[in-house]
Amino acid sequence: MSDRGSGGQAAAIAGPSHIRDTAKIPFIIIFLLPAFVFLAVFLYYPIAETFRISTTKSTGIGQELYVGLGNYLSLIQNEEFLAGLWHVFMWAFWSILIQLPIAFLIAFSLTFYVNKFTKPLRSIFYLSNVLPTAIVAMIGRFMFAPKTGIIASISKALGWKWLGAIDFMGNPDMAFWTLFAIATWMYTGFPIIFLMARIEQIPKEVREAAELDGATGWRYAFSIVLPQLSYPFRIIMVLMTTGSLKLFDLPYILLTGGPGNATVTLGITLYRDGFINWNYGRAAAIGVVIFVLSLGLTIAQFSLGNKKEAK
Amino acid sequence: MSQAENAAIVRRGRRSIRIRHGLPEVIITVFLLSLALVIILPMIIPFMFVFKTQMEYNYHPWALPKALNWINFREAWKAVRIDQGLMNTVLVSFGAIATTVPPAALAGYIFARYRSKATEIAFYAILIGYFVPAQMVLVPLYKMEVAFRIKDTLVGLFLPMAAFGIPFWVLIYRSFFATLPQELSEAARIDGAGHTFTFFKVMLPLANPATALALLLVFIGAWSDYLLSLILLSSSKNFTMQLRVTSFLYAYGPDRMPKYAAAAVIAMLPTVILYIIGHKYIIQGTVAGAVKE
Repeated sequence: MSDRGSGGQAAAIAGPSHIRDTAKIPFIIIFLLPAFVFLAVFLYYPIAETFRISTTKSTGIGQELYVGLGNYLSLIQNEEFLAGLWHVFMWAFWSILIQLPIAFLIAFSLTFYVNKFTKPLRSIFYLSNVLPTAIVAMIGRFMFAPKTGIIASISKALGWKWLGAIDFMGNPDMAFWTLFAIATWMYTGFPIIFLMARIEQIPKEVREAAELDGATGWRYAFSIVLPQLSYPFRIIMVLMTTGSLKLFDLPYILLTGGPGNATVTLGITLYRDGFINWNYGRAAAIGVVIFVLSLGLTIAQFSLGNKKEAK
Repeated sequence: MSQAENAAIVRRGRRSIRIRHGLPEVIITVFLLSLALVIILPMIIPFMFVFKTQMEYNYHPWALPKALNWINFREAWKAVRIDQGLMNTVLVSFGAIATTVPPAALAGYIFARYRSKATEIAFYAILIGYFVPAQMVLVPLYKMEVAFRIKDTLVGLFLPMAAFGIPFWVLIYRSFFATLPQELSEAARIDGAGHTFTFFKVMLPLANPATALALLLVFIGAWSDYLLSLILLSSSKNFTMQLRVTSFLYAYGPDRMPKYAAAAVIAMLPTVILYIIGHKYIIQGTVAGAVKE
C-alpha cells in the first residue's frame, strides 16, 4: 500500500493531477441528483404552482377559473385575514421586544457567573424548545384551563379569588397573551443558547481588561458584550419575524385561532381557507403573502443592519 | 508555561473573580435557578397526578398518591391507540432520516470540495429552499399527493419532510466537509482511489459528528411535526403521535386530569429522553450558525 502510495505521489508530481478527472463531471451530477430531485418535485414545482393557483378560483374539483388578482383583493377585505396579519406582526413585535432582552439577560448571566449551579442550566433552558408543540399545547391547557387547570387549582388552594377569576383562554383580550406566555416559555431557550455561543467567543482578555477599567457587571454587559452581538441579534430577529409569519401549531392546537378571531394567524387562515373551506385559490394567495413578507423582511433586516455597520 | 501552571493561574483568576462578585453572584444564581424551575415544573407536575384515581385527584389534588396506580396509563394508551401512533411516528421518522440525510451529505460534499461556477449556482438554488416556508407550498403539495395517490400514507408524509429538511442539512454538511483538511482526500486520490471511493471510505466516516447530529435532529423534527401530518393524513389508523395527542386534548381535557396527565407523560417522554442523551450535540448543532459571520 505504502509503495503504491509513494509511486502515485511521484506520478502526481510528474503530471497534473486532473488528468484522470474525466470522471469528475458525471460524479458531481450523480451526487447532486438526489437532492435536486427532491427539491424539484416537492419545492420548485409547488412554488411555481402556488403562484399560478393564487390567480385562479379553484376548489380542487371542476375547472379552475382565472381571476387575476381577485384572491388578493378579496383578502384585503377579509376580516379574518387582516386579524391574522395584525396578530402576526404583534407577535413578531413583542417577541423582539420581550423575548430577546430576556434571552440576553439570561445568556449574559449564565456566561458571566459560571458555577456548578449555573452550568447545567443552558441545557434546561433549551429543553422546552425541543418538545413537540402538541405537548406544549397540552401542558399549556393543563396550566391555564378554567376551574380544572393548575393555576386555577393553586389559586383555589391559596384562596386567591382574583387569580382564579381570570379567564386565560376564553377572554379574547387575554388569549393572545396566554399564548404569548406559553410561546415565551417554549421558545426563549433558542436565543439564549444562540447568544451564549457568541458571548463565549469573546476573548477572556477583554473581560479582564474591562474589569481593570472598572467596567464590571452591568456596565460590562451593556457597553462591551452587547455591541458584539449585533450579528446574532439580527439572525434572531429575522428568525422571530419569519417564525411569526409561519406561526400555526400553538394557536391552532390550543385555541383553533379563537375565541372569535382573537388568536388567528396567517398560517391558520391559510389552513382554514385551503383545507376546511376548500378555497385553494385564496389559500395559495395567503401562501404567496407569507413568502413575500418573510423574504422581504429578511432582506430588509439584513440590509438595515449592514448599513448601520457601514457607518 | 506548563499546563499545571496554566491551570493554577486560571484557578487563581476564577477565585479572585468569585470573591469580587460575591453577593450579586448568589442573587443571580438563585434567580436563574428559579427561572429554570419555571421551565421544568410544568413538565414535572403531571407526574404528581398520573398515579391517582379521578376520585383521589378530586379530593386531594396536591397530596402524594396513595398507591402507584397504572390504570390511567392503560386507559390513555387504549383511548388513542398509542401503540399504533408510536409505530407510525417511528416509521415516519426513520423514513425522513433515510430520505433527508444521504442526499444532503452527497450534495454538501460536492459544494464543499468541488467548487466551480456551476456548483455555486446549484448551491444557491438549494439555498432558496432554505428560505421557503412550508406553508407556501401546502396547496400544490396536497393536490400533487392526491394525484400521485400518496396522500394519507406515511410515505407521502416523510417525502415532503425530506424536501424541506435537505437544504438545511446541505448547509451543515457543506460547512463540515469544508473544515476537513484538503490533504486527506488528495492523499486518497493519489493512492488511486476514485471520487466515489474517496467519499465513501475516507470523507464520509470523518463526517460522523455531522451525521450523528442529523440523525438526532431529523428524528426529533419528524417526531414533532404537526402541520404536515394534519394536512396530509386523513384516516385515523395513519395518525402520528402528535395528531393523537391533540385528539386526546380535545376529547378529555384537564377535567379528567389523571388520564390527561398520563397521556402527556407518554407523549413527552421519548423527546425528553432523546434530549437528555443528546443535549450536547443538539445544542452544538443548533448554534452552529451563531459562530460564523
